[in-house]
Amino acid sequence: MVSTDPPAEQTAARASPGPWRTALGQLVRNKAAMAALGVLVVITVACLGAPVYAHSVAHTDPFSSNISGTTVIDGKTVQLLQPSSTGLGLGVTPIGPTWNPSHYFLGVDNQGRDVMARLLYGGRNSLLISLTSALMCCVIATVLGLFAGYFGGFVDAILSRVLDVVWAFPVYLLAISLSIVLLTSGLDIGPLHIGGDSLLLPIAIIGIIYVPYVARPVRGQVMVLKEREFLQASVGLGASDLRVLRRELLPNVLPSVVVFLPLMTALNMLTESALSFLSIGVQPPNASWGTIINDGLGLLYTRPIVTVAPGLAIVIAAGALNVLGDGVRDALDPRARLRGAA
Amino acid sequence: MIWFIGRRLAAAALVLVAISMLVFLIFFATPGVDPAARIAGRNADPATLAQVRQAFGLDRPLPIRYLLLMRHLVVDRDLTSYVNRGVKVVPQILQAVPITLSLVTGAAVLWLVLGIAMGVGAASRQGTAVDPVIVFLGVVGVSIPVYWLGEVVNLITQSRLHNSLFSWVPPLGYVGLTTDPWQWALHLLFPWLTLAMLYAGIYARILRSEMVVALNEDYVRTARAKGISERRILIRHALRTSLIPIVSLFGLDFGALIGGAALLTEVVFGLPGIGKLTFDALENVDLPVIMGCVLYAAFFVVLANAIVDVAYAGLDPRVRRA
Amino acid sequence: MSVRARISFVAASAALALSVSACSGSSPNSAASSGTGSTTPSGSSAGSSAPASFQSQHKGGTLHLLAKAAAGTLDPMVNYTLQYWQLYQAMYDGLLSFTKVGGQQSFTVVPDLAESMPKLTDGGRTYTFTLRKGIKFSTGATVTPADVVASFTRIFTVSSPTAGTFYNGIVGADACLAKPATCSLAKGVVGDAATNTVTIHLKNADPEFPYKLAVPHATILPKGSPVKDAGSTPLPTTGPYKVASYDPNRALKLVRNPYYSEWSHLAQPQAYSDEIDETFGLTVESEVTAVENGQADWVYDPPPADRLNEIGTKYTAQAHVNPLTAMWYLAMNTNLAPFSSPLARQAVNWAVDRAATVRLYGGTNLAQPVCTVLPPAFPGHTDSCQYTKGGGSTWKAADVAKAKQLVQQSGTKGQQVAIVTQDDEVNKAIGEYLQSLLTSIGYRATLKPISANIQFTYIQNTKNKVQISLSSWYQDYPAASDFLNVLLSCASFRKGSDSSINIAGFCNKSIDAKMQQALITERTDTTAANAQWGAVDKQIMTQAPMAPLFTPKLIDFVSKRVGNYQFSKQFYMLVSQLWVK
Repeated sequence: MVSTDPPAEQTAARASPGPWRTALGQLVRNKAAMAALGVLVVITVACLGAPVYAHSVAHTDPFSSNISGTTVIDGKTVQLLQPSSTGLGLGVTPIGPTWNPSHYFLGVDNQGRDVMARLLYGGRNSLLISLTSALMCCVIATVLGLFAGYFGGFVDAILSRVLDVVWAFPVYLLAISLSIVLLTSGLDIGPLHIGGDSLLLPIAIIGIIYVPYVARPVRGQVMVLKEREFLQASVGLGASDLRVLRRELLPNVLPSVVVFLPLMTALNMLTESALSFLSIGVQPPNASWGTIINDGLGLLYTRPIVTVAPGLAIVIAAGALNVLGDGVRDALDPRARLRGAA
Repeated sequence: MIWFIGRRLAAAALVLVAISMLVFLIFFATPGVDPAARIAGRNADPATLAQVRQAFGLDRPLPIRYLLLMRHLVVDRDLTSYVNRGVKVVPQILQAVPITLSLVTGAAVLWLVLGIAMGVGAASRQGTAVDPVIVFLGVVGVSIPVYWLGEVVNLITQSRLHNSLFSWVPPLGYVGLTTDPWQWALHLLFPWLTLAMLYAGIYARILRSEMVVALNEDYVRTARAKGISERRILIRHALRTSLIPIVSLFGLDFGALIGGAALLTEVVFGLPGIGKLTFDALENVDLPVIMGCVLYAAFFVVLANAIVDVAYAGLDPRVRRA
Repeated sequence: MSVRARISFVAASAALALSVSACSGSSPNSAASSGTGSTTPSGSSAGSSAPASFQSQHKGGTLHLLAKAAAGTLDPMVNYTLQYWQLYQAMYDGLLSFTKVGGQQSFTVVPDLAESMPKLTDGGRTYTFTLRKGIKFSTGATVTPADVVASFTRIFTVSSPTAGTFYNGIVGADACLAKPATCSLAKGVVGDAATNTVTIHLKNADPEFPYKLAVPHATILPKGSPVKDAGSTPLPTTGPYKVASYDPNRALKLVRNPYYSEWSHLAQPQAYSDEIDETFGLTVESEVTAVENGQADWVYDPPPADRLNEIGTKYTAQAHVNPLTAMWYLAMNTNLAPFSSPLARQAVNWAVDRAATVRLYGGTNLAQPVCTVLPPAFPGHTDSCQYTKGGGSTWKAADVAKAKQLVQQSGTKGQQVAIVTQDDEVNKAIGEYLQSLLTSIGYRATLKPISANIQFTYIQNTKNKVQISLSSWYQDYPAASDFLNVLLSCASFRKGSDSSINIAGFCNKSIDAKMQQALITERTDTTAANAQWGAVDKQIMTQAPMAPLFTPKLIDFVSKRVGNYQFSKQFYMLVSQLWVK
């Protein structure tokens, strides 16, 4: 993420809409990126179809415990959670994968819930959280970067120090502390009450911690642009600060922010799972891929599939996002393209 | 330039102070964390509770408590834990440093070697099947949750294949370098590989794109035209310029990791380094240790940042005016 | 893995731990204790509650123990965790002590540093002890009456957790509690060097006082020990081991106390291994693996759920299962809707499938469903179950239909209910089940899992407005009052305090009076008192301020080379009696 400040001469050329269309064309021709996009579409559709799968195919409620439940496998009625019957008879083991999509395809978790159905529902939350937090991050970072870079001086000093604090503040501490405060009491912003189990909390936390990653390059870029003639001319003609920011600077920094978006989404997906590991994030009985991994860790030695399946889902989804991000970057990053063509 | 460095250092100090205040405020804003009842013990009566509160200064106003805490941590260096009473925070941190250092240094060597080999390999073989394969591996590396990978590695090496393929893998934990260098390396092997996988992916990807750009530069074409060997061009010209962003990135990453960013790896592999110390302190909600660890971590991040900033300022005078 | 915040059920938080209970495999009422395997495999351990005399051929070697984390201060007067109390057995002594044997007999109090059981005079208010001659601290100094006097004063000067609950009956204790710095028990604890005696005066007769003298908080330490919590600095011991080093991030190392020689095989038997190391920091998964591979001898923490089956089948000879005198329960806030309605509280009791919670804890061989506050086989316990389908005196099945009807009747249907549990695996799993259950009987239930270290104090404070929470209680000593009076008396309910162990906020004047009555009866007639406690238990369960779930059992998983396993119901496995040779 470090090498995204494009040299100034190319940046100026980006103000026209032309490059966007060119970039799109190039992206469409990028086979790897298109394949990644395909994978993401498949995953998204599958996850959106979670209720259909749960109710019509698997006939199960993935959000209620079914500890004493039974099912029929190979004509035999078996308990979903099977107490050990040999030796000292210690422990209870959930049934493993049946590989039969119509019931318990991937087996059940320690509450007797269908893992496959939870995986699909969990994907919805994982995708939603990572995407919205990436958007939030990019929006906040762009605004902060623009202000800090354009106004400079005092504004810049304050904003930069705030970014430094966020940058240096340990993510896990912030996450855990906030989770205890917020999960127990929720968050009150004026008349707005956000419950402790709201998805907005993990979105906000993840959205904020990476702001400096994006804001710093944006700020650097703006500082370079500020020296450019077209901008000096615009200011000279009496354009208001806001107008300069919106009409002259924003279009120029936007492409690099867009490049960040898919990469940031992938990063957020990993962060969400790491935070779930520390019990912040989506609250039970709701699920995300991260929380399913966490639930499955308690079954790692007996039913590794509960952990492995969501882990693979994350690897595939984050991998696809990274490939797509590379494609977007290749298409939009003017340095690589222009020099390549030179 | 000196003025710039001075200002940058002052700003860094300011950031550290701000972070310590934030940690302190978040801690005491958290419901149920008042350590008095936990220190006093199960079912303590109100008189005992009051005594404990007074003995630990928990009845003082917040600003005073903050100043006392910071004085014990920074000036007297005798701050003690709330949970493991009598245990000083500073020596605990100093003791954990060599472990984190062992983990991070070893992993760094691995990921630099791997990352550079992969980056150069991919860039120099564009158009062949090697390039996409390496790119794919790099993507996989950056897309795996580290702790999940660690768990799966443990599952395989400690349990599933422990009696066959991986019978040589020692139990989790740490053995000092001076105690037994061979065991030290053996215990750290999988943690190194796990941690290095992520960073090797990141570095390979960045290096590859830098090299692709560099290989199209005029001076490279000139060199080629002069008949200099492809290998020499690759190493002497393209790699050298492409390494500059890698070096600054490495500075930031290394600083953060030394500060405890390898938390999940340390926890998963049972390595009692800074990350594990931080994690345990968080689990115990032990403010003095949390504060010590956070400031220690933040110090390295801020320091790495400042160094990179100053270095850039040295290279690019425009930054200095900002 | 391991990182999961697997705080051990018992100890982890500074708070919990206490003691113990139940029967080792050998005692009659615990036939089920080691499940199907009990007949053969645990032979080495289960049996012999009366240990033969010392077998010197097994002496020597180092015993390697593992624990996920250290348990805090090493000061025996301050530490209140099972983890260290278990080790203190072989390190520290009080005037009295629980017998260091396996089985039911481990609940018996015997003279330790005192020569014989005390002489009671003045209507049970004065205890006179004569000290044994020639017992030395690990510093080489002789134990004198002056040390005893100083030790009792120190309980107050270091603000021992139980100073105000166990030892507040000593004459002069009130002043000491209010002003520890100037504490003097001149009228309460009197030493006489000439006769080598110590006399303790109580304000009122207290039949439980001998128990209180036998727990580590009443350890006898040398005069001149620091008057504040000694933290990680070890204090001199009298038992077979002393501390060689302690680093809460690495290990606790115990070595033989050179000044120890056996004075009472029952109170403080000599130890087998020369050294005991307790190493900290591994994850529980890897601890179990280490014991399986013979790299360590014992794991303090409960094994993870996914390893239980393996331990129970492949390592039957190395696993010892013993019931505890403890209770896992749901505390329902009787002062907050919806559980201010007794009908709603009863509904929860009807609805909870205790078998499901047992399954989440590890199966029927690791826990037993209960409906009473007093655990099975505990003084005062009578079989009774007011909330089971089909009636009877033991729990059989839940009755959700009845629960739904009661919820309807109570007019609380549709209300929001938040369940607060710890965030470790087992607690969270039970919490998730409860969330699902409360939803099914008509509430809008949510789950709030919070850090195990905070949860225990969080749920006690009325300011946090906790409606229902999952908690557990492990006995301090074997007396009914340690459950009923401690957990459910008006005196244990302190509004706005983090230390208000009556989590339900239950205060019923008539039941409170009956408990006071039972305490008085206890002074003269234990049997009659226990019958009264049993009746109190029933009346409380009719009011249903809590829903008892199950009595847990404890697994001790030891390495192959370990022999002579014995389980004390009071302080668990006798560490000093294990041999590795």
